Amino acid sequence: MTKKALVSAAAGIAAWLATGCAFAAPQFSFSKPSVIAGAKLFAEHCSACHSVGSLRYNRLVELGMTEAQIKKDIMTPDGANYLQGMTPTMNMAEAKQWFGIAPPNLSHIVRAQGKTWVYTYLTSFYWDPQRPSGWNNHLFPNVAMPDILSPWGGTYAKDGTLMQPGLESQAVYHKQVAEIVDFLRYASDPSIFKRRADGPYVLGVLILLSLFAYLLKKEYWKDVHKNDKTGK
Amino acid sequence: MSRFGDWLNERFPARELMREHMTEYYAPKNFNIFYYTGSLLLLMIALQLVSGFLLMAHYVPTSADAFNSVQGIMYDTKWGWLIRYMHVDGVSLIFILLYLHIGRGLLYGSYRKPRELLWIIGYLTYIMMMGEAFFGYVLPFGNLSYWAGQVITSIIHAVPFVGPGLTTLARGGPGVGTATLERFLALHAVLWFLIIAALIVMHILALHQVGSNNPDGIEIKKTKGADGHPLDGIPFHPYYTVKDIFGVGVWLTVFAAIIFYAPTMHGVFLERTTFFRANPMVSLPDVTPPWYLAPYYAMLRAIPNKYLGIGLMALAITLPFLLPWLDRNPVRSSRYRPVYRVMIIIMAITFFTLAWVGEQPPLPKYFIVERMGAVLYIGFYLLLPIISSIEPTRKVPERVRS
Amino acid sequence: MAETIENSNEAPNPGRRRFLTAATSVVGAAIAGATVVAMVESMEPTAAEEAAASTTVNLAPIEPGMQVTVPWQKKPAIIVNRTPAMLATLAEAEQKKLLKDPDCSVPQQPPYCRNRYRARKPEWLVMVRICTHLCCIPHYRPKPASVAPWWLGGFYCPCHGSMYDLSGRVIKGSPAPHNMAVPEYDFSADGKVVTITDMYAKAHLC
Repeated sequence: MTKKALVSAAAGIAAWLATGCAFAAPQFSFSKPSVIAGAKLFAEHCSACHSVGSLRYNRLVELGMTEAQIKKDIMTPDGANYLQGMTPTMNMAEAKQWFGIAPPNLSHIVRAQGKTWVYTYLTSFYWDPQRPSGWNNHLFPNVAMPDILSPWGGTYAKDGTLMQPGLESQAVYHKQVAEIVDFLRYASDPSIFKRRADGPYVLGVLILLSLFAYLLKKEYWKDVHKNDKTGK
Repeated sequence: MSRFGDWLNERFPARELMREHMTEYYAPKNFNIFYYTGSLLLLMIALQLVSGFLLMAHYVPTSADAFNSVQGIMYDTKWGWLIRYMHVDGVSLIFILLYLHIGRGLLYGSYRKPRELLWIIGYLTYIMMMGEAFFGYVLPFGNLSYWAGQVITSIIHAVPFVGPGLTTLARGGPGVGTATLERFLALHAVLWFLIIAALIVMHILALHQVGSNNPDGIEIKKTKGADGHPLDGIPFHPYYTVKDIFGVGVWLTVFAAIIFYAPTMHGVFLERTTFFRANPMVSLPDVTPPWYLAPYYAMLRAIPNKYLGIGLMALAITLPFLLPWLDRNPVRSSRYRPVYRVMIIIMAITFFTLAWVGEQPPLPKYFIVERMGAVLYIGFYLLLPIISSIEPTRKVPERVRS
Repeated sequence: MAETIENSNEAPNPGRRRFLTAATSVVGAAIAGATVVAMVESMEPTAAEEAAASTTVNLAPIEPGMQVTVPWQKKPAIIVNRTPAMLATLAEAEQKKLLKDPDCSVPQQPPYCRNRYRARKPEWLVMVRICTHLCCIPHYRPKPASVAPWWLGGFYCPCHGSMYDLSGRVIKGSPAPHNMAVPEYDFSADGKVVTITDMYAKAHLC
């Protein structure tokens, strides 16, 4: 039984690899603009159910957004507080009844699973009438989450055939998924831009210290090498 | 300067300490790159104290809030990410330095008479540091922390007679929870750290009593000049202080590069499973320790019997204490002992292979590697008395090589 | 023998040593100093503390004449919805010369609240209800003659009998030196909620 399931899963993955995967190679262009684009898409499609509890809305200012933009584009739920973490619109207790589990807080998902995993997960849904939600996933079998991006990316059958084309072209759609993953990567490690900005200066000063210390050592050790020659 | 200096020195032995441990501590002049590790370890441990103090200023040791308080440090505290990465990456760097420092001792016979006690104090410090690291990675209470806490406290369970009692005592309850975090924090930040600090002071005092060994394994005190100082020795200050400052500069550059550009070192220094909240209902896909403890964990798994496996691990950890008496060759340094040198190289490869295999999931295909590793590791210590009595040696020079 | 080794590469050079020692020390001190600054800054209030530092209050449920107390930065902040009759007592107190500092010349309120009402909008009083004498919390006594026969309405401190009018201005004969402090606050665009943000830096509580 399990063996049969494994074989069919393998066949499914192989078929999916053969068709959709040519497009599916992640195109991450991790940068402040791509993170902002991803945050807007996340707010539009994901934040109804998922919180990003560790990341405060006002933090997004460091990406170059203004308070007014954040409130208009990102803070879609009514009860959200600009100074607090990103909250979902949905009542978590009700969500647990609908999906069987409460949609997880996605603050650390990229650090925990890796960006490629998240990208592959989001692009591996297929239509499966046997599931209560109607959806299944090659990477995460029997997943509770439906493919809420299918109106844009299209609906696929298990063997990879396109059942219903999406509103977006494949290229645009995959770029947008990559942007959502970029945003989640930033959310799980928001010090990244600060580190990249400060890193060269920190390393520069430390290299300068090493250089001076090296010349100083050389200067002092002339005493030692002098004695080497005299055989003392 | 001088009047204040006199006033001070009548009341506090500042000049005497400076003379005894710096300006008139004669160290061999042929130290190589391995000899940076001692001063770098001191620096790194001082940095752990500073970053640890600042982490503790924001940390909450309860099972409900520990994970959130650590994420609060990462997201909400100014420079919190810098402090936590310093503390987390610092641990891995300390263990890299420790393995180089211990490996140097093996290579140049620094454990031999009269440095047996120096070796024992140092090795004890290393064992204490493994404990310190363990307490530390339980504290953030991610899922790795929880399961590491469970597994390691279960290992204590195997101690004859008192094991179950000790396990309860370590956890402070039936499982790992708030009581465990509170006592682990107290151990990590107070008692264990103070013992390590005291051991380090004793290690340095013992070193300055017997004098430093060197890559040639020659006693420099044997050849003294007219002024009574060893001819092959140079005052630690200024020669080795300036050299060590250079070492500090290079090392801090490496440290900063890791913190700023690869703070998790691709999941090796900061594991992925630490980013899930502790969950007693969901075990990890595979419970593996951090890389620096993995060799012993691999040996634990090498024997499919709980008590024998734990016994093998305990043996592997304690055998190095006996090293000063297992090595019976009159020559110290492996520079003049080709067979011993090959044994050490095999030992180093074995150790890091065990570290690698200890990080892999417990699959049957790895058992053979684990077992071969365990045999080679234990074999090194068991064969050493025999091989060291019969191995051929090269002629040791009278004076150190520059 | 000594002459044979004295070439420019080998001879110690005291000037060079001094310069390199100074250069290494300066760079080392700069690194240590920058690290210490970062370490001290890490002890400043976190984003979580800052988020908790401001309080937003919905004004809709506060009826005319009613006082609402909200905990704000571990202090009791109040919002009073003053009626026209209550506002009239403020001018009366000035005319009868009851007040120590009727013009609010001591900066116990942000500049935008330096008026008779000590408020952005006359009807809404936003204030920290801490007596400037010895930090007690005065009672809200809006009814005339409820404290003394001449009482127009205001705040009365139970500890040492300090009295304030309905704008928190201190009444002559009280041990308290100053008017009660008004924090920085602002109304939302539609005027339905008020957000108390910071303590006014120049004001002192007690």
